[in-house]
Amino acid sequence: MSWNEPGGSKKDPWSGRDQQDTPPDLDEVLRKLRDGIGGLFGGNFGHGGSPGKTLALLAGIPLAIWGLTGIYIVDEGNRGVVTRFGKYTETTLPGPHWHLPAPIESKAIVNVEQQRFIEVGYRSGGGRQQNLGSVPKEALMLTQDENIVDIRLAVQYQIKDARAYLFNVYEPEKTLKEITESAERGIIGKSTMNYVLTEGRSGIADEIKQEIQEVLDKYEAGIRVITVNFVDAQVPEEVQSAFEDAIKAREDEQRLKNEAEAYANEVVPKARGAAARLLEESEAYKQRTIAKAQGEAGRFKQLLTEYEKAPEITRQRLYLDTIESVLQKSNTLMLDVKGGNNMIYLPIDKLQRQSTALDIPRESEGVSASVADSIDNSAKNANRAATLRGRESRGQ
Amino acid sequence: MSIFTVSESQKAIKFRLGEVISTDYSPGLYFKIPFINDIKKFDARVLTLESKPERFLTSEKKNVVVDSFVKWRVKDVSKYYTTVAGDVVQANIRLDQIVKDAMRGEFSKRTIRELVSSERDAVRDILIKAASPVAVDLGIEIVDIRVMRIDLPSEVSSSVHQRMEAEQSRVARDYRSRGAEAAERIRADADRQREVLLGNAYRDAELKRGEGDATSAEVYAQAYGKNKDFFGLYRSLTAYREVFRNEGSTVVLEPDSEFFQYFKKSK
Repeated sequence: MSWNEPGGSKKDPWSGRDQQDTPPDLDEVLRKLRDGIGGLFGGNFGHGGSPGKTLALLAGIPLAIWGLTGIYIVDEGNRGVVTRFGKYTETTLPGPHWHLPAPIESKAIVNVEQQRFIEVGYRSGGGRQQNLGSVPKEALMLTQDENIVDIRLAVQYQIKDARAYLFNVYEPEKTLKEITESAERGIIGKSTMNYVLTEGRSGIADEIKQEIQEVLDKYEAGIRVITVNFVDAQVPEEVQSAFEDAIKAREDEQRLKNEAEAYANEVVPKARGAAARLLEESEAYKQRTIAKAQGEAGRFKQLLTEYEKAPEITRQRLYLDTIESVLQKSNTLMLDVKGGNNMIYLPIDKLQRQSTALDIPRESEGVSASVADSIDNSAKNANRAATLRGRESRGQ
Repeated sequence: MSIFTVSESQKAIKFRLGEVISTDYSPGLYFKIPFINDIKKFDARVLTLESKPERFLTSEKKNVVVDSFVKWRVKDVSKYYTTVAGDVVQANIRLDQIVKDAMRGEFSKRTIRELVSSERDAVRDILIKAASPVAVDLGIEIVDIRVMRIDLPSEVSSSVHQRMEAEQSRVARDYRSRGAEAAERIRADADRQREVLLGNAYRDAELKRGEGDATSAEVYAQAYGKNKDFFGLYRSLTAYREVFRNEGSTVVLEPDSEFFQYFKKSK
């Protein structure tokens, strides 16, 4: 019974928002107390009138003190559950309240907003340690494909119905844990290992949450599951290295591909470059060959024109010019040996050694080669060149 | 006259000189006569029978370690009192026997895989059905029976671990060889591209050179064809020059060569 909700015992304690914050008034407390006791014992207690006025006042003091023991305060986020002789009467909202004092009524206060949690498969030991103490008995379970996975779950919950929480299930927290384990194993058992470890995580957590809630509601445990979280989902420690290697292998696959791509990226453009060079070179060869042919042909044609004007003399001149130029550069040896049988010793090796010592690179060819001669050789050579040039100009 | 209370989480039974006279108590305040009436109260909440892990054989004759729990509550107080004397421990022992028996039977019909994945709910329903008549006899109500762990014994687990490892190493090898395969393909493709590129380029280049050669041959032929006689002379002379281009060649001549015709005459 409370001041804020007179006669509202049937009222849903969760939707009742019409709280009045009137402070408790002693007179009213006493009146209610009289009503309560009167209702209990059926007599017209306290309605006696004047003869017992002083008596009533004297009796009233301890009564008032007794009555005051029924005052209680429900803190924000809590609910008070009041029972009269063990029978549930009402659930009270935060604020000051009064119930009939013991032994008639008693109250229990339950925090309905606190988010509690249980840990399945590990114990964090309260603190925020990195090393979660694993509990293999809870954590290891079979998957559909008969692999073993190591799952650590945290379930957050709230008390949604204080009355149900208090009266319906013995050891609600332990029950919640049992349900969680059972639901978790059932759902993991329906999933393959890969699904559990990879994309299935959130879906599985939701499924577990749903199943836990269903079972809790069936037991009328008065608990609401807020979230189910996978703290960790792994393969057992014994096989972790093999799994890590498999992950590494996946990386290796990618690496090998990338390396090959890099090779391809190097080889193909290089080949394209080389191909382009081949083509350019061949184009160059073509152009050069044609140009050379045109040049040589042109030169020939020009000379031919002159030759046709005076064939004999031109023929003679060209012949002599050429022989001259050839013999100029050669070690010439004239032998009058016709008909003779003399053995002549020619020191060819000596001659050749001499010639290599004299050998100089030549850039131009033909008649104009002698111009280069004239620049970097002796005066004798220069004289010859002068005569040659003279002849050349005459010939043309 | 004395009073007693029955709380929200209790059920009560009232005796008169040992004889049950009332069981129908909702929570609240009640009266009894001292010495004649006796009251016993029982927990009316959902209670738990938690079984210890035990081995069961599956249809493949494999052992699995199983534990389960039964959730039950007192329904018929007088039966509960008469059959198990209102003792939770005794009730649990009776229930445990029934449930274990039923479980043994159901497990032996199923493979591990079925038990772990698909048949969990079916087994639960069968167990509830099997235990319910017995529960009625005991004056209790089965709220739920759930199998928690179905685990392989530790000696089998290690072979599962080995299998998992083997599987992973297969997967790893698969990935690596796939990588090698892909890499080889890519390289080979690149090499092929290179060969093709170079081959085509060589072909095109040769054709180009051929064009050059052909054109130049045509040009030469056109020019030199105008006077074959002079061409012979011209080309020969050019060739002489070319051949004797380097200094140091040794030429041996006879005095009656054409070049020396005047040289001789003057002698």
